[in-house]
Amino acid sequence: MPDIVLDKVSKSFTKQTHAVEDLSLVIPDGSFTTLLGPSGCGKTTTLRMIAGLEQPTSGEIIIGDSVVFSGKTGAFVAPAKRDLGLVFQSYALWPHFTVAENITFGLEINSVGKKEINKRLDEIASALRLDSLLERYTSELSGGQQQRVAIARVLIMEPSVLLLDEPLSNLDATLRMEMRAELKRLHRETGATIIYVTHDQLEALTMSSHIALLESGELQQFSAPLEIYERPANRFAADFVGSPRINFIDATLDQDSLSWGDVTIPLPKSAKENVGPRVSLGLRAEELGLSRTCGPGMVEGRVLTVLPTGADWFYQVRVADEVLTIRHNGETPFDYEDIVYVEIRSKSLKIFDDAGKAVQ
Amino acid sequence: MSLALNRWRFYVTPERVLSVCFIVLLAYLVVVPLFMMIQETFIVHPLERFQIPGSKVNDFTLAHWYRFFISESAYTFFYRPLVNTLIISFGLSFLALLIGGALAWLVVRTDMPLKETISNWAVVPYILPSWTLALAWISLFKNDRIGGEKGIVSALTGFEPPDWFAYGLFPITITLALHYFPFAFLLIGGALRNIDAQLEESASLVGAGRLAIIRRITIPLIVPSIMAAFLLSFARGLGTFGTPAFLGGPVREFVLSTSLYGNLIGQRPGLGYLAALVMIVIGMLVLYMDHRMVGARKSFVTVAGKGARLGLIELGRWRWALAGFILFFLFSVIVVPLVALAIDTVMMIPGVYSWENLTLHYWIGEASYSIGLGTGEAGILKNPQILSALKNTFSLAFVVAVVTCLMGILVGYAIVKRRGTLISKCLDQISFLPYLIPSIALGATLLAMFAVPRGPIPSLHGSFLLLVIVCSISALPYAVKAGISAMRQVGGELEEAALMAGAGWWTRMRKIIVPIQKSTYFAGMLLPFISVTRELSLVILLVTPTTQLATTISLLFTDRGWYPYTNGIVFILTVVVVGCTVLSRRVMGTSLAKGLGG
Ligand SMILES: Nc1ncnc2c1ncn2[C@@H]1O[C@H](COP(=O)(O)OP(=O)(O)O)[C@@H](O)[C@H]1O
Ligand SMILES: [Mg+2]
Repeated sequence: MPDIVLDKVSKSFTKQTHAVEDLSLVIPDGSFTTLLGPSGCGKTTTLRMIAGLEQPTSGEIIIGDSVVFSGKTGAFVAPAKRDLGLVFQSYALWPHFTVAENITFGLEINSVGKKEINKRLDEIASALRLDSLLERYTSELSGGQQQRVAIARVLIMEPSVLLLDEPLSNLDATLRMEMRAELKRLHRETGATIIYVTHDQLEALTMSSHIALLESGELQQFSAPLEIYERPANRFAADFVGSPRINFIDATLDQDSLSWGDVTIPLPKSAKENVGPRVSLGLRAEELGLSRTCGPGMVEGRVLTVLPTGADWFYQVRVADEVLTIRHNGETPFDYEDIVYVEIRSKSLKIFDDAGKAVQ
Repeated sequence: MSLALNRWRFYVTPERVLSVCFIVLLAYLVVVPLFMMIQETFIVHPLERFQIPGSKVNDFTLAHWYRFFISESAYTFFYRPLVNTLIISFGLSFLALLIGGALAWLVVRTDMPLKETISNWAVVPYILPSWTLALAWISLFKNDRIGGEKGIVSALTGFEPPDWFAYGLFPITITLALHYFPFAFLLIGGALRNIDAQLEESASLVGAGRLAIIRRITIPLIVPSIMAAFLLSFARGLGTFGTPAFLGGPVREFVLSTSLYGNLIGQRPGLGYLAALVMIVIGMLVLYMDHRMVGARKSFVTVAGKGARLGLIELGRWRWALAGFILFFLFSVIVVPLVALAIDTVMMIPGVYSWENLTLHYWIGEASYSIGLGTGEAGILKNPQILSALKNTFSLAFVVAVVTCLMGILVGYAIVKRRGTLISKCLDQISFLPYLIPSIALGATLLAMFAVPRGPIPSLHGSFLLLVIVCSISALPYAVKAGISAMRQVGGELEEAALMAGAGWWTRMRKIIVPIQKSTYFAGMLLPFISVTRELSLVILLVTPTTQLATTISLLFTDRGWYPYTNGIVFILTVVVVGCTVLSRRVMGTSLAKGLGG
């Protein structure tokens, strides 16, 4: 089965702006790859180009062995011939068909026999718990049910690639959790390649095997979720992924150490020569420690806000001119206005140069 | 005591009072007249005494029903006109759907050039008086059946159009279809525009071809609008009077509306009212069929989903040819008829198209029995009768526009505020009722109701008020629809915020509701103004010499064969309505499509 290759794919709707620019990706067969990025960054456009609903301005798209689009040769394979299924963000269920008709329309168009259609309908309906809804019109379904119909409609065609455009964004929070689990199960059971679009970084982290992070139509990073979390390729990636947001502090980079105020951190390897001296250091909330007593390598701060979330306590602490968000799980919580001492506990430092690129 | 008073206050809210008042008023003006008219079909009228031996005035009788449906003359009175009516109404609705639907599809779904221009021009045929085209048809294709004059075509080419082409069902169907296709254009165009492109894309993803998509997805999705357009053209065509009168009269082909008119003024009111009743029943039947076919469960007029932009279908090298063809078509149904009419107003002797024959006599000449047609009437711009009719028309149009606009605001407000309650549903239904009653039949019901004094209400026959009533009722469904949608857009919270701030009902209306919806109301006033200006069918039964309107007086001139006058008056009306539409578009940015409610 196919890898999906995007080679220098660009798309512009107007002369001046690019919706997607020079995007190159290899989406491995059987992976759960997420296109992640803020709204308007070109995720849907990318997905639609893979589906064949939109033609790239330039570049090449290859699915398995066949070049489905090429700006050079002008090759273009029609959407229906690409062996993929697309679940639209708004589901796009046909309102004039019943649930059953919605699901079986594709088979019917492809002149599959009546018996076969009914057999597959039964299977899919019971797998997605739609049995009791088959005779309803889609306007008579809840959001979650509509979504399952949309998925069933695609799955019944047994595509080897499944494209999902923000499938959970119209659902409420509890249903979303349920559907995440269900989609992962689906991925395991069908073995299909899933390309999943979302703007929700947490969703991307929990579900994917690969994440392609996009901004303004450009690829920022393509790697496994934890890789992005721990080794963001640039300031944007560090900032966009992770909750609460990462702290950035201004620091000075020397030959073999990094200094921030009075604190100096020795660096294991010497930094690249052409970087610095001014850099910014990214510190996640759990990479900072808090204590009541001062020790070596600690700086003094004052608690501004206390934000308990149940499992954890988050504190906003003012240190010199900066406000840092810090996670702390000590027995005795701190209070407003407490004087505290902040310590850096990172295993690997995320250092970014002036242009926002990661150093090391 | 004070508790009771408080409770009373709580129940007597402005919207409740409004609802009840309107229900009573509308019931009195719409429902009661309907029953009065049915009653009229069972009694002997003064002039029918002699036709029904041994009867006295106001006696109960079944004679009308017998004569109309069973007797030997039933064929002339009823069956022939019924068949004609059905042929024409179905024919024109299909034709209108075809023209309007094709135009809508080209404008919305293809890359045809000049879309803006075409869309603007495509609604003009509806703005023109419905019988403009009939008159133009006569001007162009008249043969020697009526009088010795020739039509333009026969004068220029020497070719004499055959009767079936010049008069009767064929030209009636064609000219009415050309008048009503904008309904289909606007409704189907709106529906096509609202279709979520993803619905078609998901079909293409599973391998449906272009034709399969159109057949299985696109058309079913717009079926409700197609049916609505069909229903609207059918009902309007059913109740229209001018066109069948002008084009059917010369060959003595009658439809229900002309038969109704003929019977009512021909002193057989019982038969006339029966014709009206049949028309109303047909209207309701068509609506019922529409309900059955579309069905409540499948009604999805507002398709959900944020709707991606539709890809335009490329017409390739045909695009300019098609646009050119359509412009040519619109030119032929708008400009050519108007020019034909205009030419006929400046020809001293009708049918003689030469420079020597050119004259302004019919516009500004003095009354004379020897010049031209020798009518003894002064030219249009100097003729006191015509000028007074024009004045009546514009006063009526203005008053009706204001009245319906107010009713639209208040009824819309009452319906939306009390949404979900029985009273709101009642009000909604009753204000929709006139929509189903063919215009001329609506006129007939009010004639039945108000021709004689009833209880404390004096006879309103021959009064300006009666004209205001009939026109307002007929415009009510559109006004209420506009009012409801305007209210929905504003939402209750804006008003409630004002309520919390301590504003009374009157202040809330004046300061919040009305100002926010200004432009909607203006669009809502434009439509009644235009319809009344060119209305004939609705008022034909209700005007008297003192309340003559421009349209009815032009009918009078047509009856005498004085086409230059008729054509001149129609020309003036046309200029005014088109002018109003263009002006309101320029000044307020309102369009007629908005008033029609999409
Ligand atoms: N059909 C279109 N025509 C013009 N611009 C478009 C169209 N579709 C998307 N865009 C533009 O392309 C950019 C990317 O859009 P999209 O791929 O929908 O973003 P996302 O799905 O990441 O929110 C946006 O700036 C959007 O306005
Ligand atoms: Mg999107």
